[in-house]
Amino acid sequence: MAVKAFSDQWATLFKDEVNKSSVYKQAARGWKWTVGLVVEAEPDKNFPEARGVVMDLFDGSARDITVGTAADAQKCDFVITAPYSRWKQVATKELDATKGMLQGKLKLKGDLPTIVRYTKASQEMTECTTRVPVEWPDEK
Amino acid sequence: MLGGLIEANVENSPAKKKDFESLGAKVGIFVTDIDEGVTLDFRKGSLVVHNGLQSKRDLTIRAEAETVMNLSNLKIGLFGMPVYYDEVGRGVAGKLLQGKLRIDGLLGNLATLNTVTRIFSVQ
Repeated sequence: MAVKAFSDQWATLFKDEVNKSSVYKQAARGWKWTVGLVVEAEPDKNFPEARGVVMDLFDGSARDITVGTAADAQKCDFVITAPYSRWKQVATKELDATKGMLQGKLKLKGDLPTIVRYTKASQEMTECTTRVPVEWPDEK
Repeated sequence: MLGGLIEANVENSPAKKKDFESLGAKVGIFVTDIDEGVTLDFRKGSLVVHNGLQSKRDLTIRAEAETVMNLSNLKIGLFGMPVYYDEVGRGVAGKLLQGKLRIDGLLGNLATLNTVTRIFSVQ
């Protein structure tokens, strides 16, 4: 059953997918930083308020993934910012996250060498996102 | 992003800083699957990043986004040479052999390529 995008239930399912992934576990060994995803508001897409996804990731597992405010996400060690519709494109595989970052469609803040070192982990994390069945607000 | 990556690498490593200060070359990077390119104009201690492929490039690297990121993950081994025998290196070498990674201007600019690879590397 689909869950609302960027809701608490979505965060729980996303965390479960990350922790089920042996690919992620292997690729993210040694990772010890928090990652925030800022989902910028797009009122015309029925997403009126920005949200933040805070991911407490450590050594191949997701200790916690929660949804809060954009300000919560911006306190993380790494912050990736994009409008709602861009995140939807990533979650539905319309936009590859690596390409998105190279094109500047996903704005990245944080130590670039570290994030590049963990490209494989970030790719698998994106795959995990796509495995969560989602109800998108602009499709109501 | 590529300019930012180089800046961070050079700041974090005296060896990369030395390479950066000695490098004078125009290197194009064209990401084939997003149809976008940049020209990195290394000017012996400074870098200007231009959108698109500028003229008179010494080297042009053409590859998909994933391969460009893998180039940054190449380990640097003996004598400052990239390591092509580990998993990442074999992947990059494979792309070269398949023609999915093209390096124009390689003949005569091998030393430049090695220096650029070292500066790019996050390992």
